[in-house]
Amino acid sequence: MILAEALRKSFPGKGRDKQRVVAVDDVGFTAHDGQITGLLGPNGAGKTTTLRMLYTLMTPEQGRVLVDGIDVAADAEQVRRNLGVLPDARGVYKRLTARENIEYFGQLHGMSAAAIAQRIAKLAAALQMEDFLDRATEGFSQGQRTKTAIARALVHDPKNVILDEPTNGLDVMTTRGLRSFLKQLRAEGRCVIFSSHIMQEVAALCDRIVIIAHGKVMAQGSSDELREAAGEASLEDAFVKLSGSEEGLHA
Amino acid sequence: MSRISFLHAMWIVLRKELRDFTRDRRTLMLSLFIAPLMYPLMFLGADKLATMRRETQLDKPLQLPVAGMEQAPNLMAHLASLGIIAKAAPQDIEARIRAQQEDLALIVDEHFAEDWRAGRPAGLQLLTDTTRRTADVSVARVRAALDGYSRSVASLRLLARGINPAVAAPLNTGTRDLATVEAKRGALLTALLPLILVMFAFIGGAHLAMDTTAGERERQSLEPLLTTPVARGALVSGKMLSAVLLGATSILLILLSFKISAGLVRNASMSMDVSFAAMGKLLLVLLPLLLIGTALLTLLAAAAKSMKEAQSHLVWLMMLPMLPVFALSVYPVKDTLLWLYAAPFLSQSQMIQKITRGEAATPEQWMVYLLSSLALAALLWLAAVWRYRQEKLAISA
Repeated sequence: MILAEALRKSFPGKGRDKQRVVAVDDVGFTAHDGQITGLLGPNGAGKTTTLRMLYTLMTPEQGRVLVDGIDVAADAEQVRRNLGVLPDARGVYKRLTARENIEYFGQLHGMSAAAIAQRIAKLAAALQMEDFLDRATEGFSQGQRTKTAIARALVHDPKNVILDEPTNGLDVMTTRGLRSFLKQLRAEGRCVIFSSHIMQEVAALCDRIVIIAHGKVMAQGSSDELREAAGEASLEDAFVKLSGSEEGLHA
Repeated sequence: MSRISFLHAMWIVLRKELRDFTRDRRTLMLSLFIAPLMYPLMFLGADKLATMRRETQLDKPLQLPVAGMEQAPNLMAHLASLGIIAKAAPQDIEARIRAQQEDLALIVDEHFAEDWRAGRPAGLQLLTDTTRRTADVSVARVRAALDGYSRSVASLRLLARGINPAVAAPLNTGTRDLATVEAKRGALLTALLPLILVMFAFIGGAHLAMDTTAGERERQSLEPLLTTPVARGALVSGKMLSAVLLGATSILLILLSFKISAGLVRNASMSMDVSFAAMGKLLLVLLPLLLIGTALLTLLAAAAKSMKEAQSHLVWLMMLPMLPVFALSVYPVKDTLLWLYAAPFLSQSQMIQKITRGEAATPEQWMVYLLSSLALAALLWLAAVWRYRQEKLAISA
């Protein structure tokens, strides 16, 4: 379970006026185990910054993050142990094979060689990556790279999974496969958070939706609750109304 | 799943970086073998050129343009007996020397014959451009021939007047060179080697140090790496250690090629202390510098926005080892001063010179050297670890 409370983060401004840019302001939500929680918002809404605070890469200026009851500020290392992260940056080592890429992270998590091999077999089957598992990742397609990065993030069998725009740049078939993989993670009782700017995807997958725009939470709840709150029949209209702009649709 | 120790994490990172790097064959070859191959070539080439210059200019007959040669036929005959063939100088001889068409010329004074017969000092003028080093050997040769002629004629004249020629030589000055034989023979090498070694020790691990930090961030794989529970200090230390290993291998290869090439030209009267003991001492001197260089490069690479920015640091870093050496050549100080062994770069070139000259550094000098350089390396390492803990590190601009 991941709990975010009143998170705030700003960055130094560029240019002459040098005003600090507030990227995330008072963002709070709860992501439960056995559920998929979606962060929905247009580009530049503050999704990636929020996620970076969740997976300990950034320290919030205000507010706190609890992962399975552990405060990120108190024991970031223990939190990272229970967290599988697919960051926005998902580069793989191109001179290593997909398997070696995954093994490296398994070793860094302190896993034994046997445990790593077992886990790779399982993930490779679930992500359909057996045919390129032992190829050097140089020249991989976007989908193959993303799959390798996801397997690498989940090698240590984490209870909580955070994915930053996992379907970005993937074709329809790969996206479908990835969706069923996320549902499988949910069925295993994990807490899954993912961000997206594609509304249909969030609607199809998520138990809870958090709409973020301009660094603030505009609304949150299940798909039905959001429609009700906005008084709109379709989620798309609800999203536009709740995020306060039309830009989300074109993003 | 268990907690892994700092050292174990470091070892995992080190192993991965080396595996990743060694799969890039071409870069591996370039960074390991360029310097060891360049060195003997430079070394043999310089030796060959110096020998060639001596041989062509000392042993071959030297054509000497002379103005007014008919005034001094005996002198010309004397010069000819030493292989210096006089020929009539053209009118524009001064211009020709300026234009480097001739190296030197001899002008015989118009009253030469007259003065000679009267026993007065007879005038000769040697024309040359002293800033042109190509003329050095020829000028020295002609001058020696003229001095010899002058001395022997003077002695004859004194004898003819019944005076012992020794009366006209109140001083007999000789020079006793106290430089060790090794130092004398390896003059060229001792000038060149410290700089090459210091430079390669300093930036020998540059490629890996920068690539594993700035490069990794640019390839977007640093952020995922930082989401693992491994301590940042262990990550950066493992990366630095891989760069140090690469640098150490490259230094070992340079030392080996240095030993081999010194063996090759031993007959050409070039020799230095190339025993394995001396090589070991050189390695001991260079390792702290390698640590300093790698830590500094990692720090810079972690602070740089891009790989390009990190690489542009190399320009001034390459100049850095040369500065103290230049300073010393302008303002030489005795190598017994203890602070010399605490200053970075200066200390290394002092130590290396001592070792290759076959001299021994005192235990005190060794201690000052090792302590100060290791302390600097530790300081830079701490700074690099601190930089790795910064939030900004992972986020590529």
